[in-house]
Amino acid sequence: MLNKKHLLTWLSLLVAVSMLLTACGGGATQPPAEEPPAEAPATEAPSAEQPTEAPPVEQPTEAPPPPPAERKVATLIYTQEFDNLAPLYTSMWFVWTTWQMNNHWAWEFDEKNEPFPRLVTEIPSIDNGGISADGTVITMKLRDDIKWSDGTPVTAEDFIFTWEMAVSPGNTVATQYPYDNIQSVEAPDPQTVVVTFTQPFAPWLATLWHGILPAHILRPIYDAEGTIDNADWLRNPTVGCGPFNFVEWESGSFARFVRNENYWGEPAKLDEIFIRFVPDDASQTAALKAGEADIGYWMPYADVPALKDLGYSIIVEPNGYGEWMFLMVNEEKGHPAFLDVNVRKAFAMALDRESFNRDMLLGIPKVPASFWDGLPYYNSPPLENYPYDPEGAKALLDAAGWVDANGDGVREKDGVDLEIDHATTIKEIRQDVQAVMQQQLAAVGIKLNVHAVDDTLYFANYGENGPAARGEYDIQEWSDGPLFPDPDIYYWLCDQIPTDENPVGENWFYICDPELDSLIKLQSTQVDAVERQKTISQINQLFYDQVYIIGLWQDPDYYAVSPRMKNVKFSGVTMFFNIAEWDMEQ
Amino acid sequence: MSRYILKRLLQGIPLLFFISLILFLLMMNVGDPVATLGGRRVTRKADYERLRRQLGLDQPVYIQYAFWLVGNDWTKTDLDGDGIAETSGTRRGVLRGDFGVSLLNRKPVLEVIGERLPNTLILMLASEIVIILGALLVGVYSALRQYSAMDNLITTLLFIGYSMPIFFIALMSMYLFAVLFKRWGLPYLPTVGMFDPQAGKTTMQVLWHMVLPVTSISIISFAAYSRYIRSTMLEVMGQDYIRTAKAKGLQRREIVFVHALKNAALPIVTVVGLDLPLLLGGAVVTERIFAWPGMGRLFLDHVDRVDLPVIMGILMLVAMAVVVFQILTDIVYAWLDPRIRYEK
Repeated sequence: MLNKKHLLTWLSLLVAVSMLLTACGGGATQPPAEEPPAEAPATEAPSAEQPTEAPPVEQPTEAPPPPPAERKVATLIYTQEFDNLAPLYTSMWFVWTTWQMNNHWAWEFDEKNEPFPRLVTEIPSIDNGGISADGTVITMKLRDDIKWSDGTPVTAEDFIFTWEMAVSPGNTVATQYPYDNIQSVEAPDPQTVVVTFTQPFAPWLATLWHGILPAHILRPIYDAEGTIDNADWLRNPTVGCGPFNFVEWESGSFARFVRNENYWGEPAKLDEIFIRFVPDDASQTAALKAGEADIGYWMPYADVPALKDLGYSIIVEPNGYGEWMFLMVNEEKGHPAFLDVNVRKAFAMALDRESFNRDMLLGIPKVPASFWDGLPYYNSPPLENYPYDPEGAKALLDAAGWVDANGDGVREKDGVDLEIDHATTIKEIRQDVQAVMQQQLAAVGIKLNVHAVDDTLYFANYGENGPAARGEYDIQEWSDGPLFPDPDIYYWLCDQIPTDENPVGENWFYICDPELDSLIKLQSTQVDAVERQKTISQINQLFYDQVYIIGLWQDPDYYAVSPRMKNVKFSGVTMFFNIAEWDMEQ
Repeated sequence: MSRYILKRLLQGIPLLFFISLILFLLMMNVGDPVATLGGRRVTRKADYERLRRQLGLDQPVYIQYAFWLVGNDWTKTDLDGDGIAETSGTRRGVLRGDFGVSLLNRKPVLEVIGERLPNTLILMLASEIVIILGALLVGVYSALRQYSAMDNLITTLLFIGYSMPIFFIALMSMYLFAVLFKRWGLPYLPTVGMFDPQAGKTTMQVLWHMVLPVTSISIISFAAYSRYIRSTMLEVMGQDYIRTAKAKGLQRREIVFVHALKNAALPIVTVVGLDLPLLLGGAVVTERIFAWPGMGRLFLDHVDRVDLPVIMGILMLVAMAVVVFQILTDIVYAWLDPRIRYEK
């Protein structure tokens, strides 16, 4: 029989053990005093010859040594925790963001989303001989001074290994793209990487070498196990080639990076960076307001004015994404009115999209006119949105034969009401905009039935009867864009229309436009940027003329940056491209 | 008693097997884990098929369940999609202590849970202690002074606390005691986290960061518990044996805390016994708002990404805890009430 004394003892023990596990289990994070350099200098400086005995000279009264400079420690808040930290193994935005701390891409992108060489001496082009005449071979010249944080040089072997790991059947990488388009990767010498594609592959600049795997760390594991899935380096990449070294990641709490004293480039100005994981938006804002963090992301738009009042800079960076309405133009699916381009134009003109941004998004993003809005080179000549013109919309509808003959406020034609089903996810801003759109469209005689569906259900695939994949609505809405920073698109290809035989097809708009189809296929093989730009411009104009899509707002990355942070810039592609230059006021 | 405990534990085995089967079938409808691996983009067809094959998701449900239960190291799998199963499986199955690996970070499920469980235990046990002690004090006080002005005041405050949603309490307390107090130059509490990473994971840091989440969790349950104690105490205080004790001239303190409270506690043990295993599941809303790295957040994060092995691991842990705590509850019953005997 358990007596009272024993029960109390057990309860006390349970509480004490929990306390101990919590306080001690993960290992205390010691405030780092000094990080020793990762590698000892190759040659020691000759020690100055010391006199055997110092003459007893009278020492002048020395001024007290200056206090040690305060360490520069920045704290960032992420609203999602990493799944892992390895290139190839994730598609999480927050991991992509982090890579520039302790890894590098072969070439990175600046705040204008322009590429610049990082691990290579120059970006391959037709002019410098880096791209073969037939567009299938890319030759990269690596810098000769790049090295991993443990001192091992970064060589072509690391690139070959990265490709091999991407396509190995033993590895559960998130995607094999674009490496599965590569026929071979060869290294004529340690500083030269020759990539041969099976056919001309236009998006190479935007998709290749997003982080490099250290062959000297991971190859022995792969050779032993046939996979690197279980390698500790995937979650604890303590050896990197970026300006900071990864130190630790405490699940659910934080990750810590310190300056890489062995960095081959210009040393980082910050000593240390903490990333704290705070999943709730309101809590992130509270932490920023309380001064517990220096940089936050994607705060609710409504919180932006208050943060600005506290001195935070709000940096908006286009990332290629935008909120788009995708119209169903198909004889079997979708509303018959949408088969008439003038009705689609009238629809666009009936919506005051600027007012959505102004009233609900505080004017922070813009209304995109082009799917390539974030890539000005390809949105050329730049398109302009259809204006908000309800009277013009009415005239177009009248001319198309859609009139309100029975006086019920909704136009009809051949006995069919102009009643459109619009679906999106349950995100609050989307539902708010749906309500406003409903009013604006009612004013021109279009009835909008709005549907808000849970994300998981909405984006379920064709095989799972996902309503978007099955094309159940006349208009679908979500945030999307081209393969930024590459202009590639493929959703609208005719062979991407989902069927029982092809349930993973991604043309959820069920549009099969032969001209569009051939242009999309053409651009995907054009490695000559000028030629490709011309093709993309044609697609851009076709989208506009045919009104297959209607832009609502850009969906940029945006950051709140504390006033004590200096030199902070962001890219829409390699977000922390200048993190080594970040600084902070003491 | 030991025979009784053993018998109950043995009875729990088929129960857990049945629960695992039901949960596994339900998990098949949570969503497609591979669909979310493409980030903001739909997973490519080639990657979709490859990942499903590599992760064993292309197998029929009964095969997946069998592998989850007994492992697949006795068979071979087809990793490269050539139709030939040539690679030996590596999973040992739940029955041999292998709950699989997370689909997201490739860590063993038990390691993933083990990192978070202590954090949840400290938060939830602290909250439970605050709730039980506070509710006992308030409940007994209210019962002994039924319909007094203080009883009415306490009742009003309790109902206000009970009717407020926890996210509101959590966010309001965070803004008041962390953001505004700091702005006003008053001593303030931290907003988020279990400790300040720059200061390190010390006991004082953890205690300091616990104040707001524990308070938020406690307010709602505190109201419910104290009302429950009040009503059971009122019922017990009207019993004949209490009247007898009073007639015999026993001290009021002895009557209340020895004779009345012990009997009034019996039904409360049932409620606490039901609540305790749920503590392992953590407080989803509170952990999310205060960024407390516990089980509730873990569950939510992995449900979002449809990480089936981790979700199954957490749910089975809670199921096992329910079985164990029910046995413990029965033991405590016997301790509180000598009339209860489980052995013939």
